[in-house]
Amino acid sequence: MTEAILFMLGIGGVCGILLSFASKIFYVYEDPRVSLVESNMAGANCGGCGYAGCSAAAQAVVKGEALPSICIVSGAEGAAKVAAVMGMDPGTAESRQAYNMCDGGVRAANKYHYLGVTSCGAISLVFGGQRDCHVGCLGLGDCVKSCNFGALTMGKQGFPVVDENKCVGCGACNKACPKDIIEVKSMSDKLLKFNQINDPLAPCSQTCPAEIDIPQYISHIKNGDYLPAVQTIRMRNPLLLSCGRVCPHPCESDCRRGIADEPVSINQLKRFAADYEMNSGSRVPIKCAPDTGKKVAIIGGGPAGLSCAYFLRRVGHHPAVFEAMPELGGMLRYGIPEYRLPKKVLDWEIEGITKLGIETHTNVKFGTDFGLGSLVAAGYDAVFIGIGAWKDHALGVPGEEIKGCLNGIKFLSTVSALVSSGISKGDTSIREKMKLGKRAAVVGGGNTAVDCARTMLRLGLEKVYMVYRRTRKEMPANEVEIVASEHEGIEFVFLAAPSRVVGNENGEVTHLEYLRMELGEPDASGRRRPVPVKGSETLLAVDTIVTAIGQAPDASFKEETSRRISELTLTRWSTIDNNAATLQSSIPYIFTAGDAATGPALVVDAIGGGRRAARSIDLFLKGEKVEPVKDSLQKKRIPESVFKTISGVQPIKRAEMPELPVNRRLDSFVEVDLVLPEVEALAEANRCLRCCRICYNPDKTSV
Amino acid sequence: MGDYFVLAISCIFVNNILLAQFLGNCPFLGTSKKMETATGMAMAVIFVLVLAGIITWITDTYLLKPLNIEFLRTLSFILVIASLVQFVEMFLKKSIPALYAGLGIFLPLITTNCAVMGVCLININEEYTFMQSLVSSFSYAVGFGLALILFAGIRERIIIARVPKPLQDTSIGLVTAGMIAICFFAFKGMV
Amino acid sequence: MAQSMVKEFTKGLWAELPPFRLVLGLCPVLAVTKSVENGIGMGVATTFVLVCSNLLVSLLRNIIPVKVRIACFIVIIATFVTVVELVMQAYTYPLFLKLGIFIPLIVVNCIVLGRAEAFAFKNSPTLSIADGLGMGIGFTLSLGALGAIRECLGNGTILGNTVFGPGFQPFTFMVEAPGAFVCLGLMLCLMNLIGKK
Repeated sequence: MTEAILFMLGIGGVCGILLSFASKIFYVYEDPRVSLVESNMAGANCGGCGYAGCSAAAQAVVKGEALPSICIVSGAEGAAKVAAVMGMDPGTAESRQAYNMCDGGVRAANKYHYLGVTSCGAISLVFGGQRDCHVGCLGLGDCVKSCNFGALTMGKQGFPVVDENKCVGCGACNKACPKDIIEVKSMSDKLLKFNQINDPLAPCSQTCPAEIDIPQYISHIKNGDYLPAVQTIRMRNPLLLSCGRVCPHPCESDCRRGIADEPVSINQLKRFAADYEMNSGSRVPIKCAPDTGKKVAIIGGGPAGLSCAYFLRRVGHHPAVFEAMPELGGMLRYGIPEYRLPKKVLDWEIEGITKLGIETHTNVKFGTDFGLGSLVAAGYDAVFIGIGAWKDHALGVPGEEIKGCLNGIKFLSTVSALVSSGISKGDTSIREKMKLGKRAAVVGGGNTAVDCARTMLRLGLEKVYMVYRRTRKEMPANEVEIVASEHEGIEFVFLAAPSRVVGNENGEVTHLEYLRMELGEPDASGRRRPVPVKGSETLLAVDTIVTAIGQAPDASFKEETSRRISELTLTRWSTIDNNAATLQSSIPYIFTAGDAATGPALVVDAIGGGRRAARSIDLFLKGEKVEPVKDSLQKKRIPESVFKTISGVQPIKRAEMPELPVNRRLDSFVEVDLVLPEVEALAEANRCLRCCRICYNPDKTSV
Repeated sequence: MGDYFVLAISCIFVNNILLAQFLGNCPFLGTSKKMETATGMAMAVIFVLVLAGIITWITDTYLLKPLNIEFLRTLSFILVIASLVQFVEMFLKKSIPALYAGLGIFLPLITTNCAVMGVCLININEEYTFMQSLVSSFSYAVGFGLALILFAGIRERIIIARVPKPLQDTSIGLVTAGMIAICFFAFKGMV
Repeated sequence: MAQSMVKEFTKGLWAELPPFRLVLGLCPVLAVTKSVENGIGMGVATTFVLVCSNLLVSLLRNIIPVKVRIACFIVIIATFVTVVELVMQAYTYPLFLKLGIFIPLIVVNCIVLGRAEAFAFKNSPTLSIADGLGMGIGFTLSLGALGAIRECLGNGTILGNTVFGPGFQPFTFMVEAPGAFVCLGLMLCLMNLIGKK
């Protein structure tokens, strides 16, 4: 007996000593949370969780690959402890759901079956068969078979449909899919997803600066599901009413239908869906992820700031918007005239965004009323600057300071502030208040210039000229705008460069002197450079001159003498310097997008930029590395999706935008462009070819 | 030499540790959902089983038997195996991180794996010599790996098959294991 | 107190019934259920170890350092397994021979270690005994049931008594290894069918 006891003590002692020495000699650093998590697991090493032992499971939990409730032995109590170690609340983590990226499309009925094998896995291993698309869904339903919860079904169009009520986010479908088409994602992941090279994307979605899933919302409209269409657009663009009215729709220029006849009226359809929601009288509810408790200051309540705030709020952060003007909206409110975007519509749209729980402060200017220091002191974790480009470029000619010379943005914002709901003909109060004359010249050829000119007509001026130094062909304004202003009676003076403003003895403008130009060699922008003709000075009799030749951000906030702000670098165009892919500025917690970062650009660019900044801010707030989107498709096209020709399309004319007749327009600031009627919208939606969704070619016979 | 070959064949196929001896079934079902995990586990078992076979044989022959305290076999074996696995884990982590990355996470799982303990006990019960127990340990481990990898391959396919709801997961896994066991049953007449 | 004891006791009989609800400790389940007798014998042995180790772990739970608790549990369990081994050798030698190495292998049965860690280490001795007893009886009944099915179909007997008429052709597949897997799998399926909401 003594031997036995001595033996046990001896062997226990030897093992203990050996191990304690070994643990010192072979010490390797490990995340301390791993051992904490492991100590809260059963330690039975049973393998029931699917991981090889408790320490493997603990490592997976710490890496975020497994849920705190993974251990089947320790039960709910253990899960709560593990969650506490990881700083997670087991109950409020955002739920994840399966999400099908390639959804929809024209499917040939005869899919390619390899020896009768109806499995996506097998097909993707052998060969594409009659499959044309190399990225999209194979449609044989391995994912449907893999789902233990009956949440996936093969839809009518031959692609899997997720039942969000049944899906638990287990990820079995993701593992079964050989093409990585179906992914398990949280709503936040979906909201902050950006186009990547391997995504199945139609040319329009590749081109849209906001990366809206255009074919999907068009197909919703086609099926009569107008509210789901609105939701699809809202996944990428919270300002759909405004964009539906003012967007110059770069997507349409890349529309594949345009090769055959005319591009689909994508923007008209967006406006149709957006107006449908507004006119329905109620709002589609918008879900937000569980609160994260992080605060973000959004400086500037324009499209970039609103977009950034909207996406940050939806992923669970707490943005607060600071706006220098009396109301939110930025250029949408103060730069775009009432007749293009009624204030009523804009108010409704912005209300929907702020109602999500976004704090707003108006009439506070960055640099004067508050500074970077006060934001940091107030506990904001990150700052977004989207102050836009509000400073007009000066004309740079003698006599510019004479009374009667105005600046474009200044002019538009003053009118916008004075006009609340439109004026009627003969009401000259605004014109008198602003001391406008009767004959005006607008210098410039962009959208701002056209807006100024059309606004002047509505204010009751008798004659409005547009003075532009190149020809109509080179005008950067939207074609529709130019056509509308021609209809409304604006006179164009092309190939004219102002050289002097002539005033009378009272210090009032009487004439604009300009030099005639001729087009020379093309410059860097590809447009032919105008060259002045010597001795061609001409006088144009006007009493008001508006200069709208471009804008830059108002960088006066830099005058605040704080050490913090001095670290923020600007470019030589006084835009804020940032990393073009992550939108992070020279100060790590400051992000910037919109005109303030890019210089004057489209509303939709600002909206896309706001979302991109929201993604970076989200990464920054989570303490992750702020990295650019991998394999980003920004400003690139998927080469195989760019077609030269397209066959088999019956030409149908595209829907024409309904407009108010010219004689009723000039009386007031009432909206000019009208929404498509439902029948026409449905017909237009039918014109969509649903590109990047034709996965199998029925005509192809060879394998 | 021929005897060792017969022993090896019998350990790998006829008396397959998983499918005929029913040892190590928890990790068999737990780690067979993915091929990667299964291969890692198989390698780790081979590695540990050989070491454990050697050390328990030495413990038994040179400590327990001379002292006449064989009744402490269970207690001392589990202690020795647990310490050995811990030691190997720490050693690999520090000295051969590449190997640790492949096998390391599977090592703790093996401590309480009845396959390891079971084979060591079988070696003693059968009164194998040192060489015999070395061969049997290695072959049993190979048999374990073989069955595990075969099973994982089938299970990866089952995931995408249509299985009635109550049969899903472990249930269908066990039935499948039964089918593989029938195949191994056929080796019975070989030796 | 009595109420919570009943609760801890009964959960092992149905809600957390091993090895069906917690798929743990499968090796003895598969190996020793060739007959009802073997199954129950194994179950009783495991129950004894489970109750004793639960009690001791629970008594020592404030003394055992958290860092080395697993090693301590193993030593405690191994001690009781040795006791069972010696007792069975002395009184039920034929059964001991039939169960073979599966008696010492109770040491590495996940259920025993799992209960020590998940329950006994955190609860009072009385509750731990109730838990151990409930789990042990549940385990014994499962083994008995599985043993009954396999013995009945594979041998035509239950506890040695013939159940079928002389014309019955035994289903030898059931008492062999493959039968164990298939039978357990189908029982698990049955449990899923009736047990889940």
